[in-house]
Amino acid sequence: MSKRSFDVTRLPGTAVIAMTCFVILYIPMAILVGYSFNAGKVIGNWEGASVKWYGAALQNQAFLNAALNSLILATTASVISTLFATMAALATTRTEKFRGEGAIHIILNQPLMVPEIVLAIALVIIVGQIKQMTGYTGLGFLIAAHTTFCIPFAYLPIRARLEGMDLSLETAAADLYASRFYTFRRVTLPLLAPGILSGFMLAFVVSLDDLIISDFLKSPGQDTLPTYLMGELKRNLTSEIYAISSLLLLLSVLIVAGSWVATRKKD
Amino acid sequence: MLDIRGLSKRFGYGKGEVTALHEVSFSIAEGEFFTLLGPSGCGKTTLLRLIAGFIGPSGGSLVLDGKDIAAMPPNQRPVNTVFQSYALFPHMTVGQNVAFALEAQGRPKSEIDPAVEKMLTLVQLLHLKNRKSSELSGGQQQRVALARALVAKPRILLLDEPLSALDMKLRKDMQIELKRLQRETGLTFIFVTHDQEEALTMSDRIAVMSGGRVQQIATPRELYDRPANRFVAGFIGESNFLSGKATGGVVEVAGGRIALPDATDGAVTLMIRPEHVVLSANAPDALQLEATIAQLVFFGTDTHVHLTLSDGEKLVARVQNALHGGLSLNEGDRITISLPDKALRVVKDEEIAA
Ligand SMILES: Nc1ncnc2c1ncn2[C@@H]1O[C@H](COP(=O)(O)OP(=O)(O)O)[C@@H](O)[C@H]1O
Ligand SMILES: [Mg+2]
Repeated sequence: MSKRSFDVTRLPGTAVIAMTCFVILYIPMAILVGYSFNAGKVIGNWEGASVKWYGAALQNQAFLNAALNSLILATTASVISTLFATMAALATTRTEKFRGEGAIHIILNQPLMVPEIVLAIALVIIVGQIKQMTGYTGLGFLIAAHTTFCIPFAYLPIRARLEGMDLSLETAAADLYASRFYTFRRVTLPLLAPGILSGFMLAFVVSLDDLIISDFLKSPGQDTLPTYLMGELKRNLTSEIYAISSLLLLLSVLIVAGSWVATRKKD
Repeated sequence: MLDIRGLSKRFGYGKGEVTALHEVSFSIAEGEFFTLLGPSGCGKTTLLRLIAGFIGPSGGSLVLDGKDIAAMPPNQRPVNTVFQSYALFPHMTVGQNVAFALEAQGRPKSEIDPAVEKMLTLVQLLHLKNRKSSELSGGQQQRVALARALVAKPRILLLDEPLSALDMKLRKDMQIELKRLQRETGLTFIFVTHDQEEALTMSDRIAVMSGGRVQQIATPRELYDRPANRFVAGFIGESNFLSGKATGGVVEVAGGRIALPDATDGAVTLMIRPEHVVLSANAPDALQLEATIAQLVFFGTDTHVHLTLSDGEKLVARVQNALHGGLSLNEGDRITISLPDKALRVVKDEEIAA
């Protein structure tokens, strides 16, 4: 017999348990998407198929404003946090060990550990004061806050990619007359690109999905998709919410799929 | 053309300090195939990295064509490296890998394209120009690494155990190919290996290293015939060592006596190669000893005869197998052997150390 190592996927019942988990995970989403095509207004009361709630959503100015805010917010926050994360990852892996490197690591990953509600409460006090003093109530506060908590999500895949990279490649480039910048452009960056892309996608999805911090920091009349949905859920539960949620789900799926295709092609 | 003067390198600080290289000095001539040979951890890679500029020396100087390059960054040194792990750029094709050095130097495309083709032809890989470098066999990667390092015509090519990852057959082929490349390009090679046979067959000169020091620098022939000390003798080829006592130029060993003018009074160590041991009493000017045949080991081309001397010391002799008939020797036989004085070397016991 060849090697017969312990393999959890071969235990009896594994398939059943796995299927059950999948069903529990995805059935609610399937129901949500299904009911988004309901012609009736009342949730859970099937009155035939229709796309009219998608039409309604696309004409709903409040929803469109929230969607636009969310897109601006997620794009800006993930771009800035990916930039920061890339620089931080380069600094912590590509230079000689320096004093305080461990501390930097902890500080960078802090938002992963602190309960979000604590961060939100801490921020709301400061942000409230700044709003009062300056009179500025735009998206800037949300962008700053989202950038902060997106950094670790962008940082982790980038750092993992850098750590897995053969250091001798950069040495070889230097040996072959490449300056530091040329080495970065021709060797480090192209090899790092899949990591940067997954970092960016992860940050984007995390920002798009954020409810607590956005809800605490938003100015009156300002909404992101999650805070808008939350508000609607409290006021009027119609099939339109299902349509909007389905759109949000579609966006997330597209991003994840896009990230997967992009990283797979690069390798 | 390359003068290494008192070059030393220490790693770490305080208690963790390691001296990888102790004031190494030697010169390499234009067009030479120069080999650094020594066991793992003796500082070969460190010396190579110092020459390439990946690390800076703790002391000493590095003079190339009359200019001290010790402080020059690696991308300005006219020296290229073939890495042990090849370090090919995995996201580039074979052609792009080879073109890299010229592109980094900002040469025009009209110059790069023919140069890349020429290099790929030289290493017989032109047909794989557009293949991803990660899709090549070990031997092919090896040759891409060579072409990539040669394309910018460096003053010196550094090779860090370039053949160690290849299997035996490929290794022999590449040894011949490397030698051919060196002759055709007329370049100076500094070649690192821990394989003494590889060093002996390929090199013009060899520096034998141990413990961060150069033990001896000589041609392969000289190293083999006149090892400077016991370490070199033991590392290059096979050797027998006999301990004896010298008085007035005469050495006493295991019940025999021989005149060796080199020997200074006191305890001495004599070295003799197995193929120089004569299994009979009738050699002129030889040390004659009584021995018992402990074991005969057949090796195809020759037979190794393991002998035990009257004082219990062991000795190995090597005899070539003749076309007809076997050796007229049997295990357990007591014979008289001769060690010709021309083949006996007085070697220093201690290697060069602190
Ligand atoms: N970056 C480093 N930091 C600390 N010690 C090192 C470093 N590089 C090499 N050394 C030490 O220097 C000695 C020589 O190493 P090296 O030059 O790699 O030997 P070789 O190539 O002959 O096997 C070894 O003892 C090794 O542990
Ligand atoms: Mg080495």
